[in-house]
Amino acid sequence: MTETIVRRTAGWLTAIGRSVARIGWPRTDKDRAAVMISSLFLHIHPARVSRHALRPRATLGLGLVSAVLFGVLTVTGLALMLYYVPYPNEAYRSMKDLQFVVTFGVVLRNMHRWSAHAMVAVVFLHLCRVFWTGSYKAPREFNWIVGVSLLLLTLALSFTGYLLPWDQLAYWAITVGSSIAAYTPLVGREVKFLLLGGHVIGPMTLLRFYVFHCVVLPGLVVMLVSLHIWRVRKDGLSGPTVTVAPVEETGGVFPPSTKTYGLMALTRRPSASVAARDPHDEVFAWPHLLYRELLVTLAVVVALHIVSLLFNAPLEEMADPTRTPNPAKAPWYFLGLQELVHYSAFVGGVLVPTAIVAALIALPYLDRNPHGAGVWFASERRLANTIFTAIVAVAIVLTVVGTLFRGANWAWVWPW
Amino acid sequence: MSVTPDRAADGANRRQFFLAGVVALGVSVTGFVASTLRFLVPNVLYEPPGRFTIGNPADFPPGSVTFLEDRRLFVFNTAEGFYGVSSVCTHLGCNVKRGGPGFQCPCHGSQFDDSGRVARGPAPTPLAWYALSLSARGELVVDVDRTVGPDFRLRV
Repeated sequence: MTETIVRRTAGWLTAIGRSVARIGWPRTDKDRAAVMISSLFLHIHPARVSRHALRPRATLGLGLVSAVLFGVLTVTGLALMLYYVPYPNEAYRSMKDLQFVVTFGVVLRNMHRWSAHAMVAVVFLHLCRVFWTGSYKAPREFNWIVGVSLLLLTLALSFTGYLLPWDQLAYWAITVGSSIAAYTPLVGREVKFLLLGGHVIGPMTLLRFYVFHCVVLPGLVVMLVSLHIWRVRKDGLSGPTVTVAPVEETGGVFPPSTKTYGLMALTRRPSASVAARDPHDEVFAWPHLLYRELLVTLAVVVALHIVSLLFNAPLEEMADPTRTPNPAKAPWYFLGLQELVHYSAFVGGVLVPTAIVAALIALPYLDRNPHGAGVWFASERRLANTIFTAIVAVAIVLTVVGTLFRGANWAWVWPW
Repeated sequence: MSVTPDRAADGANRRQFFLAGVVALGVSVTGFVASTLRFLVPNVLYEPPGRFTIGNPADFPPGSVTFLEDRRLFVFNTAEGFYGVSSVCTHLGCNVKRGGPGFQCPCHGSQFDDSGRVARGPAPTPLAWYALSLSARGELVVDVDRTVGPDFRLRV
């Protein structure tokens, strides 16, 4: 009697579990491949990946790290929303509450701020990696554009984010940022009015940036990241086509695939990227890719915790419209821009950024050189790499100058 | 009377009907976007007025420069009369400070001379001079919506 009840209960639980996860804990390579295919969250992985894509130096894992950082930012951001009040002065007081009153509030705020800084850096490095390995070449041209949009959204999220504490940094960043927007030809003044929700910075301004930061921009990022990863999944990672000996898997030698993924009735031939794959170079994504990803995720989260426990996120004095700090400096990732704006607001704040974004978007269509995809600093694309590296170097020099060599009234100072 | 499946009684065929649908969809999407943009423009602004009094002329000693920080305004009382110069840098809106000769901006290094003309740096235009007047009760009135030239003086 009891045995029957236990057996039946166990049967139900298994049935319920299977209805959710479809496959029990996978014990064979075939089961693991099936999980990758049938699970929504793992479906962004292929069942098999090429061994070259697993090498750390192929991608440096920068895309994954960006995604992990965005996840951390979402979780910590949601938590912070419970204590944050988007109203001038109240916003600053809620920052002080998070620092001194709320248990673990300061750690959550630190994690949110440091993840944001890290995400700007990592997304930028990801862009550099993709350029230096020529990975924007066909068929990945459009995904490069999605990636450029994600870089811009990352910067916009950072900017709107450090406005919210309503400290001096926030207030003067809004002042300068909205004034730069006003330099846009034709629509500048209207754009500034829409951003501020009026002629002067006030509660409407803070509320608008709050909605941008917490709803509009993250929503766009989620959509574009999904598209970005989905296309990476469909195109596969760029890399040289190599022929190697069959891989020994735990389930035996993996047989060469003869399957093509063409839609028989609709297209004439299978998709090129699938056909070009060498099955001998592939291993199962679970465990080879999945465990590496979990390890990188763990490393990022642990590193963020250590940094957040050791270093507090900056918070300046409460916003004071009557007193501009001297010098009033933006966070490091905008200091190159600030250095440019110091020469001309229109050229540095509108023209150069627009030109850079336009060049980045046009790049995969301008660069018709088919060689060097998936290879670091390929010798066939010496010109492209030289130009890009020079522009990155200029950006870094401007940032270093803005960070270390500028003092009161933005005058030149020596840091030593 | 018979109606063929792809031709209605008034003679519109499927293609025209579909086209009308596409046009209607386009119109409604455009209308939605336009009304959303209009929605973002507030009709009422709870902002401080552009015209305000700053006190009696006697509050400003002769030959002095007073900085009214909450109005972001320098008030000069010279032998020729009163004038008011904005402390808002014309470059990107930071507060300039008086220092050395003229005014200095802490954000991007703009420098202005004593009358607010650009001396160095990225500022495109001189600091704004606001119109001053006397109210019926003899108080100084500033109108930030009316700018004047650097030869403006209010004699009291």
